[in-house]
Amino acid sequence: MPRNRNIVNAQLMNTKSTPAPAGDLHPLAAKSMSGAEVIVQVLADEGVDVMFGYSGGAILPVYDAVFRYNATHPNDDGSEPLPLIVPANEQGAGFMAAGYARASGKVGVAVVTSGPGATNMVTPVRDSMADSIPMVVICGQVGVAAIGSDAFQEAPVSTIMGACAKHVFLVTDASVLEATLRTAFEIARSGRPGPVVVDVPKDVQNTALTFAGQGQLPIPGYRARLRNVQSAQLDDAGCASFFDALAQARRPLIYAGGGVIASGAAEALRDFVADFGLPVTTTLMGLGAFDTTDPLALHFLGMHGTAYANYAVEDCDFVLTLGARFDDRVAGVPDKFAPRAKFIAQVDIDPAEIGKVKAVDWHHIGDLRRTLERLREYGAAHGIHPRQDGRYAAWHAHIAELKRVHALNYDHDSELIQPYAVIEAINRITDGHAIISTGVGQHQMWAAQYFDYRAPRHWLSSGSMGTMGFGLPAAIGAQFARRDATVIDIDGDGSIRMNLGELETVTTYGLPVKIVLLNNRGDGMVRQWQKLFFKGRFASSDKSLHTKDFIKAVQADGFTWARRLERKEELADTIAEFLAFEGPAFLEVMIDPDAGVYPMVGPGMSYAQMITGDFIASRQRAAGDETLRNDMF
Amino acid sequence: MNAVTQHTLTIMLQNETGALVRVAGLFASRSYNIDSLNVAATADPAISKLVLSIRGDDQAVVQIVRQTRKLIDVLEVSHQATAD
Ligand SMILES: Cc1ncc(C[n+]2csc(CCOP(=O)(O)OP(=O)(O)O)c2C)c(N)n1
Ligand SMILES: [Mg+2]
Repeated sequence: MPRNRNIVNAQLMNTKSTPAPAGDLHPLAAKSMSGAEVIVQVLADEGVDVMFGYSGGAILPVYDAVFRYNATHPNDDGSEPLPLIVPANEQGAGFMAAGYARASGKVGVAVVTSGPGATNMVTPVRDSMADSIPMVVICGQVGVAAIGSDAFQEAPVSTIMGACAKHVFLVTDASVLEATLRTAFEIARSGRPGPVVVDVPKDVQNTALTFAGQGQLPIPGYRARLRNVQSAQLDDAGCASFFDALAQARRPLIYAGGGVIASGAAEALRDFVADFGLPVTTTLMGLGAFDTTDPLALHFLGMHGTAYANYAVEDCDFVLTLGARFDDRVAGVPDKFAPRAKFIAQVDIDPAEIGKVKAVDWHHIGDLRRTLERLREYGAAHGIHPRQDGRYAAWHAHIAELKRVHALNYDHDSELIQPYAVIEAINRITDGHAIISTGVGQHQMWAAQYFDYRAPRHWLSSGSMGTMGFGLPAAIGAQFARRDATVIDIDGDGSIRMNLGELETVTTYGLPVKIVLLNNRGDGMVRQWQKLFFKGRFASSDKSLHTKDFIKAVQADGFTWARRLERKEELADTIAEFLAFEGPAFLEVMIDPDAGVYPMVGPGMSYAQMITGDFIASRQRAAGDETLRNDMF
Repeated sequence: MNAVTQHTLTIMLQNETGALVRVAGLFASRSYNIDSLNVAATADPAISKLVLSIRGDDQAVVQIVRQTRKLIDVLEVSHQATAD
């Protein structure tokens, strides 16, 4: 590995991290430490207050250093400063770290051993990459000399993770370990956030080092590009052309994605809407970026978005895209997305997302919060106040009417418990303030649709990867991030099985996590697609013959509050009791196995072809819808 | 639809473990075929220079160039269309 890191290019040179000014020395600078101790000290310096991981031979030096650090640096209340939370499976640790990061905005940290420990971490790393979640994953690796020898518990982590993560470091030179760790945090949290994997051979963990207390790796290309986007200021001409186009619009709409949450721009968005009066629909990932109970909020759009959001997209004549990427679950047919929009604007921190799927008429690459604030300033300085002028009065009335006529709805008269009613009952109590995590499937979509989300970081769901098994460990991680918050995992009987071992993690750590299992005896979402596209042949998705007794299972794992709800009349009382319980609680609800997720914009279809089901009003009750419905069953 | 043409990308890359694999992997995972690839040392031993040629329409090439710029150890990417 090259030691010479001088960069020839003078312009790039300037972007090298500046050493901390003298006098600002780390109190432990020049102290002798092992590589493992260096790792733990950098974690502490980075503000890490919990980590998740499973031990093994190749990571033991780090685990021992964590143990010693905790023993010698207790918090005032005697608790450990760096608790290491042990899951049942490394995938659980990865999703706990991701849940922690999603709920807090801080970097989640997971520490695992080599080989199988590292490969079990691949799914959460990919999941976090796809949803832009900041994580640092430290993997033990076989000794430097053994790399490439098919050693015991060796896996090509840098190759595997390199294809999945924002970045991966294999530290073969112990002298750069400290700078590498610090750089990993910098990369994870900067720009478009993502997971960074640091693969540390065991002998590097055991090397005697001198702690520097400062310094990062030179990554001049990345830093130069980052500085460019971060300093990019929307100029007057850019603002002017934005507002000129807006001035032509009568029905403008904001389409806001997870980027609003990642960049901490939710408040700026609220202020922007207060000033200019553009209604807001978010993506699934953007839930909470704008208070869903606001009169101008359209909840979320896309494949299973609300009908009124999707119709508003059909009707709008101007789209302002904020930190969203026209993903195929939103713009299945990019050409038909927002077909009446004469102008599409896009703001993103990632240049590669501009125009990637859909050509836009105006864009700005830069920080969302600052961009929104800049547009507000410009608007204020130039007397632009369309909302106060009543320019959108008709559009706002139209939006209100769409929300009224095409509201979410379901079969209220059924004898069977409807999943939507379960979520509504919880929401009546939590009122948009609970942190909700989910598995993947119908229950995930119902949770997205029927809960209110009043603030960012309350909706934790595997959006892009759609990873079953996410919900339970993510809830655990979130509870560590927000110890006083109500954290509820809305899970499916298929999804929860995937990381069922983490039930015990909940009780081991005494977390007051609430788990709601919407049991439809099978892979409901798969069945829904099989009904639609495979003439109802339920290949492997029906689990009515499965024998698991979830209540016994959770009791075996130490849940003292565990109940199965089968009678509709008991719904409200049971949920009130369940939520009021102080400790971990598990509620299994036997729901109507035929309950579907509506609306649905089928793959390859436009919003105009959206199916709304039997209980949500559709605009095209006529021709199109009926043909589709006949096909369905 | 844009016409498919030959494009030459020149990538200055930090000489880190796995950096070359990440560049090659990026092209493979986004289904771009690399027609030719030449890796050379530079005066600075910490930097290598990759010259690779691919075929694609302009929009596809713009996208892969942007994706390449997201790789941490990439210093610079320059791009030339070579009509054939
Ligand atoms: C790890 C993983 N495997 C497979 C899938 C494909 N898949 C998507 S939803 C689903 C069914 C989920 O069943 P369940 O958790 O019971 O949720 P439901 O749809 O019944 O609410 C499956 C198999 C997936 N998303 N993730
Ligand atoms: Mg199910």
